Parts: sequence; structure tokens; C-alpha cells
Amino acid sequence: MSNQEPTEQLDLAFVEETVQRVGAGKERVLELLQAIQGHYGYLPEEALRRVCELTEITPASIAGVSTFYDQFRHRPAGKHIIHVCIGTACHVKGAESVYDAFRTHLAIPEGEDTDARKLFTVERIACLGCCTLAPAVQIDGVTYGHLTRETVPHVLSDFLRHEQARTASSGKSHRLHPAKAGVRGEVRIGLGSCCVARGSGRLHSALQEALAQTGVQVPVKRVGCVGMCHQTPLLEIVQPDQSSYLYARVQPEDARPIIQRHFGVKGPHRKLTNAVSTALDRLLTDEKWEPVTRYSIHVRDQAVSDFLGRQIHIATEHCGHIDPTDMDEYRRNGGFQGLEKAIKELTPEAVIRQIEISGLRGRGGAGFPTHLKWSAVRAAQSAKKYIVCNGDEGDPGAFMDRMLMESYPYRIIEGMVIAARCVGAHEGFLYIRAEYPLAIQRVTEALDKCREHGILGESILGTDFSLQLKIVAGAGAFVCGEETALMASIEGRRGMPRLRPPFPAQKGLWGLPTLINNVETYACVPWILRNGAEAFANIGVGKSKGTKVFALAGKIARGGLIEVPMGISVRQIIDEIGGGIAGGLKFKAVQVGGPSGGCIPVAKDNLSVDYESLTEAGAMMGSGGLVVLDETDCMVDIARYFLQFTQNQSCGKCTFCRIGTRRMLDILDRLCAGQGESSDLDELEHLAKMIKQGSLCGLGKTSPNPVLSTMRYFREEYEAHVQGRCPAGKCKALIRYSITDDCIGCTICAQHCPTEAIAMKPCEKHEIDPEKCVRCGTCKSVCPANAVRVE
Amino acid sequence: MSMPKITIDGREVQVDAGTTILDAAGKLGIPIPTMCHLQGHEATTSCMVCVVKVAGVNGLVPACGTIVRDGMQVESDSEEVFDARKAALELLLSDHVGDCMGPCQMGCPARMNIPLMIRQIAAGRLKEAIETVKRDIPLPAVLGRICPAPCEKVCRRKQHDEAVSICLLKRYVADVDLRSDRPYSPSLLPGKGKRVAIVGAGPAGLSAAYYLQLGGFDCTVFDEHDEPGGMLRYAVTEKHLPRDVLDREIAQIARLGVTFQLRARVGTAILIEEIRERFDAVFLATGELKAGDADALGVDASAEGVKIDSRTGTTSIPGIFAGGDVVRKRRLAVRAVADGKETAESIRQYLAGERVVGPMRPFNSRMGKLDDVELEVFLREAGPEPRVPLARPVDGFSRHEARAESLRCLGCDCRKTDRCLLRRHAETYDAKQTRYKAQRGVFVQQTQHPDVIYEPGKCIDCGICIQIASAHGEKLGLTFVGRGFDVRVAVPFGESLAEGLKTAAAECVRACPPGALAFTDRFAWE
Repeated sequence: MSNQEPTEQLDLAFVEETVQRVGAGKERVLELLQAIQGHYGYLPEEALRRVCELTEITPASIAGVSTFYDQFRHRPAGKHIIHVCIGTACHVKGAESVYDAFRTHLAIPEGEDTDARKLFTVERIACLGCCTLAPAVQIDGVTYGHLTRETVPHVLSDFLRHEQARTASSGKSHRLHPAKAGVRGEVRIGLGSCCVARGSGRLHSALQEALAQTGVQVPVKRVGCVGMCHQTPLLEIVQPDQSSYLYARVQPEDARPIIQRHFGVKGPHRKLTNAVSTALDRLLTDEKWEPVTRYSIHVRDQAVSDFLGRQIHIATEHCGHIDPTDMDEYRRNGGFQGLEKAIKELTPEAVIRQIEISGLRGRGGAGFPTHLKWSAVRAAQSAKKYIVCNGDEGDPGAFMDRMLMESYPYRIIEGMVIAARCVGAHEGFLYIRAEYPLAIQRVTEALDKCREHGILGESILGTDFSLQLKIVAGAGAFVCGEETALMASIEGRRGMPRLRPPFPAQKGLWGLPTLINNVETYACVPWILRNGAEAFANIGVGKSKGTKVFALAGKIARGGLIEVPMGISVRQIIDEIGGGIAGGLKFKAVQVGGPSGGCIPVAKDNLSVDYESLTEAGAMMGSGGLVVLDETDCMVDIARYFLQFTQNQSCGKCTFCRIGTRRMLDILDRLCAGQGESSDLDELEHLAKMIKQGSLCGLGKTSPNPVLSTMRYFREEYEAHVQGRCPAGKCKALIRYSITDDCIGCTICAQHCPTEAIAMKPCEKHEIDPEKCVRCGTCKSVCPANAVRVE
Repeated sequence: MSMPKITIDGREVQVDAGTTILDAAGKLGIPIPTMCHLQGHEATTSCMVCVVKVAGVNGLVPACGTIVRDGMQVESDSEEVFDARKAALELLLSDHVGDCMGPCQMGCPARMNIPLMIRQIAAGRLKEAIETVKRDIPLPAVLGRICPAPCEKVCRRKQHDEAVSICLLKRYVADVDLRSDRPYSPSLLPGKGKRVAIVGAGPAGLSAAYYLQLGGFDCTVFDEHDEPGGMLRYAVTEKHLPRDVLDREIAQIARLGVTFQLRARVGTAILIEEIRERFDAVFLATGELKAGDADALGVDASAEGVKIDSRTGTTSIPGIFAGGDVVRKRRLAVRAVADGKETAESIRQYLAGERVVGPMRPFNSRMGKLDDVELEVFLREAGPEPRVPLARPVDGFSRHEARAESLRCLGCDCRKTDRCLLRRHAETYDAKQTRYKAQRGVFVQQTQHPDVIYEPGKCIDCGICIQIASAHGEKLGLTFVGRGFDVRVAVPFGESLAEGLKTAAAECVRACPPGALAFTDRFAWE
């Protein structure tokens, strides 16, 4: 902190105003830091010192907290911040190469993160939760997906162009209007983060414009995530006769023809409309397109019905049909009926009994029976209790909770109110990652409406039950997903886990009994109350009841968000829902459960997806990321990737996790660099055992799982690395690129090589200089003759 | 509330509700190692050296922070627990930047605490300096003249200019002592009623006699020559080693009550069987073996010399030990002196009926070679002057010269060698610093505080000092900066330790488990 650049005398008036607005309690530290960084672009030391003068926050606390969370910067940043997502899905699709490309393109010197013009700062980010867009980056608020080294310059220029446009039209709001009831027919547009990132915002403007021009009177309704992220932007047309058509990957210029087609435009435009309509029909007949950039699909289309048919929507009920923050619509679709029943007809004991019968278990990963937690908090003797919703979904490769919060905020709140009443809590928090601004926005809006309509606050639904809920925005620390760390974070401390017991049910927030459940767990509760515990328990297998929401990403044809019954097989998810592996490659394994989970190999693809089977197979339900890997993925690299993640995210409290994971990573680094020794494999297993048994919290204890599971199923790949080979051709130090005789001398590779390792030799066979080659794979991806060989 | 009853290692104990496993074990007298735990402070559950197994719980739990439950069954002496504690220590050591002992001490065959001796010289505490020397070398005036000084070959100062004149400083300490009215003579332990025969009055034999006699054993030294000293007397020229120095130093040993039986060649004049009959143990230190010697002494030998266990000095015959040139043709007096001292310990163990394991080898963390930046850190502590030349070879250093030379020492040893819990437990658990391969961190020292030095590379990130500073109401205090592997304890806003610790410094030093926080003044502990 001391080596920050000298700054002009800083205007600290903002700090004073912020403290006035936010408050001076110790627990306000994250909120204050976020506000200060939002204002100054970083955390100027003078501002932090001023905070200490004005509040109860001590220098030790502010310094400790502000250096704990990834979100905070102590050095000035460039005007715009580029967050390169290095989540699992992005990793397997080349995020590091994209990160390098940004740095190279912006000529950022080693050891720095900002370009010379102070225009862009490039940072890695654990996971943006846009796995289907992988590799993805976020520049300020704008998300770009499917990046390659080559598209990096275009992304930057596109961003700057739109930045100009935004500045020019500032003040002009594109606020969307909720649909009015009673109108026949409507246009539904997906506005989850993925959809927005893929241009649904622009599509929305184009639709409004098209409607205005054609005079069609039909409401445009925004809906939350429909789960089919691979197809976004998605547009669903509900015709006046209620027949529905789903268009995928729709571009703004398609808006008008689609409107004209479905809402029969009268007048002189008719002819034109028909012509366009025919064109659209041609698209539907699936004639050959090259390249396929967008297409339209009917909702009954075979692939899509598989995609949706295997699914059961409970946490994601009414997926794609309802406006996330339209309370009336939520109510019309059965919203708050569960709460009514729970609060007016049933005793708290009876509700807990229902939860018990339903068999609901924690959806955050460990699968602890929900009713036991509720009973424990209910039984705790205390005048004051808290309720917390864990929305700190930090697993790279997981975005279920983001989607649930963005799309069904009322459902989560309803679940929380039911739970709070059962355990006797009157105050609570929703802890949501700062990386999910849309989720925070939607939940905030939903909380406001709930307060207005008697769902929150005093005398809820006319009863004497009261509950106040607040949002706490996390600041980028994976470990805060661990419940004791999360509570420390809410209290305004570094997010360090502590020893359990005592469990939060006995000693939680500020030492008081606290119920803490995951987003998805709460989201299941209203359905159970409304449809009956038995209905829920009838779904699933063994001790795993109901459904689980998964984020399906990686090398899959149709990635997205799915909700499936427990007990479905891995193969069914991948083939029937996901449409198999993308690009005709072979399925190798699926990574389940992120950094705490493991890899299920193709040989076990009939494995039932439930808590027990996954654990048995060396993986873990985790929070529900499913990252599909194909034959080009190196399992040692995957293990190393996860360990790098946990190592980087370790809070640093206990020896085994802080140093142990680092030593494991050292070994994996050596293996991937071709410096492995045969004893390294035993050493990995030894360290894994020590870390599992000796770490303080769940994150440490489960951190060796990705290594252990890949060693269990892919030991031969580890052995190959010891011998200096990477069978998948992924580990850069172990592979060589060369050009075969198939080279047609087109020079494209030479033009694209970022390090000039290929000399331009028109019409001749090209050669790669191994000294200069950085093994980025660009030449292979651009070669039209498939003449680049990796060995 | 009822008092929970639990068992630890099969022993039952009843404690107050809310007691930790650690305290319950304390009540039973079961030792559980701890580092980051400090009575009266919230358990930091960081070092994990105190882990134990609780029946029915997955994995291991830290005893310091785990509250007992009635009926709990705890295991603290299983192999699983031992291995985990050892792993925790070895992981901490893999990230530990600093030496326990200085390279000179490691280079000295007798492991003399050279840095301490030099500091005592610098402080004018010569009485203490001779005690330090004689703890490991009973013939310092002799060795101060003839030792080739392997210690100086590894002296860190050499990386900058020239090694510290360790050997001459030792000679200075010894000479001052010998010239004094009452040369240093430590008191003897109570007599054990056991007799030890030492065959050979050379450096190995004399050394063994000195330490065994101090330990309460009756020693008789046999030698075939007219006078004691062995090779020191019969192979070193008078010019190199004036005989009065040798005589006076041997006289110091004789003064302890050691009997010398000269002109007596064991193996011929006196049969080894007779010796074995009259004595409880025998130390063979005859110097290089000649043909037929081994047979006469009745021990197994090779071309190199008498065969011994290198750790303990035991020969093929129980009760007969050997050391010095009789076991190897090295002809290094300091090695022979070290052998004598070390074998004396084996003999003590043998006579006490203990398992003979030889001397305890203290754990030593080692940094290896320093880069230039790190060397600068050490040079800051030392005087800038070049090596003091020996102006009068016959007289050795003057008081003034010795002091000037002593100030050149970089003080490479840790300020907490004897108080470091990491070192203590590493020894108990036989932990190895190099067990886990790792890139060594950079050695850094923060010296802005008037009384306290902070060496972050030795910190185990437990945060006990942070708690103490906060409890003291320090305005700035200390905090964790960063996260995970790179987390460090520091003063907020990059301020100096002097600003962070206005009143809590001494308490923090005392509580710091390793040597990360230490008193600048190395004598401050007294």
C-alpha cells in the first residue's frame, strides 16, 4: 500500500458523505470500501485513513479487509477494467491465451496490469458465471463472449465505440416495461446476464423500434434466464392464438422481419413482409448455412424438446415465462401460496416436518438435511436469531445461483420468509457476490416490492410475524462461500472460516443462532409447500430427493442451465440434454462440483447424479457446475487448474491449506513443465491425504479432490507427464508445433502468429521457430489446410 | 451445567464444560504440542500442530480450539496424529526463511556456538564467552592456534569481504581465561560411581575425559607416552603450539579429577581384558591404528580404522567406544575433540542404561546462499571495517583488536534459537525442512522498531501478535495483509513496526512462536 503513486490532494468529501449515508458501524466496512472504490477507481490510502477517523473501523481492520478481497485495488487503475474470466469453462477454452492477448495487444509490461495510456487495466477474475460464453471477459459492465486471441483487438475497439455511443446518449434510458395482463400474444426476450452479454439489450431496442414502425401492439416482456445460454439472444414469440415460436441467436436486424411474420402486418408492407417471411422459412428448413451464426428454432424442435423434456423445473419453475421482478405475475403463477400456507395454516413444526418429508438437502454442496438445520436453529434459545442466504457462488464453472437470483428473486425471498418464520428469525441477509450486479439489482427490486406488499417488514401477510432482509455484496473471495467465513464477512471482517462446532445454528452472526442456506435450497421451499412434500420426495433417488440445478458448460454442444431430477445419469445429461460433445470430438470426462469436486470419466457415464454416488465416485455435488471435457483436455492440467484456484483462494489461516495446497501446486507445475519425477505422484497423494484430514474448513478439506479423482481415473496421464509427455497435447512445455507437408503456403499462420515465430514464405512450406513459438495454438486454429501438427 | 467426562489415549478425565481438548489433556499430563496457542487468547487454530483424532469425526481437529463434549474419545498418540503433526511442521518449515544456527556453527565439527561467543566478546562478557566455548571445546587455546578453522570457510562475511577471524577470537577468549587468576572450571555433576577408561591422551581422549568427568564419571586416561597430548604434543611443532599452552589447558582437565596413567600401552602393557574388568566403559582414542593394534584391542577394524557406528561411536564390543584418528585417518584436531565430546554422550547414555543414540542433533533450519540484497540485510548489523590483521602472531588479538573483529560478525544465527517452538517441535517430531520441495522465500528484516526486529520469512501467520496488539489498544497495531499463501502480518498502511507497536512489542515478542518477532538486543531476554 505504501508504494502507491503520488496523487494530487484528494477530495475526501465523498468519503464523508458516504460514511453519513452508509453508517459508521464496523460491519459497514465492505460497503464503504466498495463505495470508495466505485468513486475513486481504487482505494486511496488517505480515504481509508479518513474512514478510520470517521467510523468504528480500525486501521488494522480496514487494511486487513481491503487486502483480503480480490475486488479491491490499492493502486489507481486504468479508465476501464477488463476482467478476464478464468473460470473452468473459460480455462478449457483458452482463457489464459486471451488474457495474454489482451496484455500483448495493450503492450502492458510484466509486473504491471495497466497500459501506458492508463486506458485499460487487465485483471483475471475467478469466474464471471457466464460459462456458456467461454472464454468471456467483462469490460466495465459489458460482457463479451467466445473470445479468441484474434478477436481481442475487435473487442477493444467495439467497446470503445460503444463507450462513445453511451456517453453521447447518456441519460437516455432503455428501461423495459413489464407486460400488461390481458393482451393477446406477446414477445418474450431473455434478459439474463448471458443474454445481455450476447446482445439481447440491443435486440430489445430493435424490437421496440420495429414495433413502433410496424404499429404492432404487442407487449415486449423481458424474462429471466431460460437456461439455453448456448442459443442466446433468445426471442420467444407467443402469437395471438397462443402458439409459440422460439428464435435463437437473434440479431437486431432480425427483429423487424420476425415481428412482421407473426403479427400479420397490414398495408403496403405486406409484400415485402412475405418475402422476408419466406426467407425466414428457409432458415427453418435448415438448409445449409456456412458459417452458422444464427438460426431460428421452433420450441418443439427435436433437440430442444430433449433439452427441455428431461428437465423438471422446481427452483426454475416457469423458466422463461415470467418477468423476474413482476410481483403480480409471480403471484398469478402460484407465488406466495407456499408462504400463505406455511404462515397461516401450519405451525413452524409442521412446516419443518414437511421439509423433512420432502427430503430436501442443502444445495450448496455438502447436502446436509435442511430440516435438521432448521430444527437446530429453532431449538436454539435466544432472543434474537438471524437468517442468511448464501449467494456467494464462487465455484468457477457454476452460475446456477446467479441465474436463480436474477430470474426468480421472489421465490428465494419467499423461501427465506418461510424458513425465518420456522426458526424464529426476524432479521437476515442475502450475501451476494459483487460479480453479480444484475442479481443484486433484481433482488434489491424484489425486496423493495415485498416490503411494499407486506411480504417483508412488520406483520407479514397480516400475521404478527416480521422479517427484515438486507443485501450484503461480497467482494470477491471464494472462501466466503464457506458459512463461517461468510458470516465473518457480513460482520465486516476478513472472510476467514473458523472451527466448527460451534455451528452457526448455535453461534452464528455476532454469536447468535443463525440459519444459513444456499440460494437454491430456499428456492425449492415454496414449491414443496405448494405442491406437497411427497411430490418433491417422489422425484429423485435414494437419499437425494427432488431436482438439482446444474450449469452445463465446457465442450458441450448445448451448454446452459438445466434443472434435472436427482438420479439422472451423466450420459443422459450430456447426450440428451447437452447434445453431446461439440465439434465431433470424443467425450472424456465431466468435472462435477468445481474445486471441491472431481472428474467422472467416460467409463462411468452411467453414474447416477446424486449426493452419495458422486461422493462415492470421488467427485461431489458441490454447488452444481458441470464442465464437460473432451479428448483434447489434459487431466493433469485440469487438476492443476483447480489447485491453482483453491491455492489462490485459500484464506491462509491453517497450515495445511495455506502451504499444503501450494506444495501440491508446485508438484503439478513441475509435472506440466516436464520436470516431474516418479516420486511426485506418491508425494501428491501423501499431501492430499494430509490436507484432507488436517485442514480447518471444508474448502481445505476438499481441495485435493480434483487431483485425487483425476489420479484415480487418469493415472496414466500423470505417468506420461512424469515421462515428459502430455497425451492431450495441452501442456505447453511438453509439446511442439510444426507444419506438415500439407502446407499450401497461404501465409495466414505467419500473419497471425503473435510472436513472429513463423516467417512469411508465400507459396512455400512454412516453418515454426520453436525458440520463438509460445504454443498458443493460433496457427493451428487459422490454418485452412490443417497443416499444423502438435506433438 | 454438568461436567463432561472424556477419554484421551484411553485415560478418563472430567473437566468443566467449555474446556478445550488441549486443557483436558493438560490436566492428564498428556503433552500436546502447540505453537499458535496462547493461554488467555482466542484460539487461532492456525498452525495445526496440535491436531488430535476424535472418534466419529472425519479427519483431525485442533486440540486448542475444540471444546470437549461428554463421552468424547480423543487419540493423541497414534501414528496418524504423529504423521499429521510432523507434516504440519514440515510444511511450515518448507516456508521458513532463516537459519537457526549460523553457518559457522554448522561448519564447526564441534558445533561450537560461535555467534554467541562473538557477541559475548563484543559485549565484554569474557567470562560468559569462555563458558560458551568450553561447552563444546575443552582445548580452545590449543585449537585457537592450530585449527584450520572450517568455520571460517563457510562464514557469510566472506561473501562480502573476508571471513570473521573466528579462530583467533576463540584463542583470545581462551588465552584471557588461561592467564587469569582463576581460569574457568565448571562444577562437576554428582559422582555416578562409574569408571571410564580412556585409551589415548590426544585431543579425542582429553575431550572425552573432560566431558565425562564433568558428568560425574571417574575417568582414567591411559597413554603410552611420557606426557599427555598425543599428536598435539608429538606431531605439532612448538612454533605452532607452544607447549606451555598445551600443558596449561591439559592441567585444566586434570584439575577436574581425571587420572592420567602414562607410559602405559593398552593392548600390550595392559591387556584390554583387564581394562574391561576394572572399568564400566572404555573409549578408544589411541590415534591412527598400527598393524596388530586392532587385534590387541579386540575390536573389529578395517583399513580405515576401528569400525564404529558413526552416530554413537560404539564398536563391535559392547561397552567399548572409539573416536578420533583411531576410526579415520583425518588428522583434524577439532574433529577429534568433537568425537571425544560426542562419544562422551554415548558413554553417558550407555552407563545410565539408556538407549545409546549418540548426541542429540539439534534441528537446524538452513537458508543456504544469500543473494546480494539479502546479504545487505546482514551487513547492516555488522561493522564495515575489514578483517583485523594479526599484528603480533605470538600474542594473538589484543582486547581492542578482538572487540573490533567481533563487531564484524553478521550474526547469522536466529535470535530465538533456544526459544523457538517451531524448532523445538521439529526436533521432537524429527521434521525435515527439505521434506517438501519448495523455492526459498526472500530473507527480509524490518529494523525500524527500537527494540524489536521483525523477520517476516519466519512468520507462521498465526496472528497471535495481531490479537495482542489489539488487546493493548494499539492505535495502528498489526493486521493480516493479503490472503492465502502470500498473507503477511504487517502494520496497516505500510507504516513501520515502531508505529504499529508502541506498547505491545515486548509481549508480542514473547508470544511469537518462532523467531519472526525478536528483541533487537540479543541479551534482552536475560
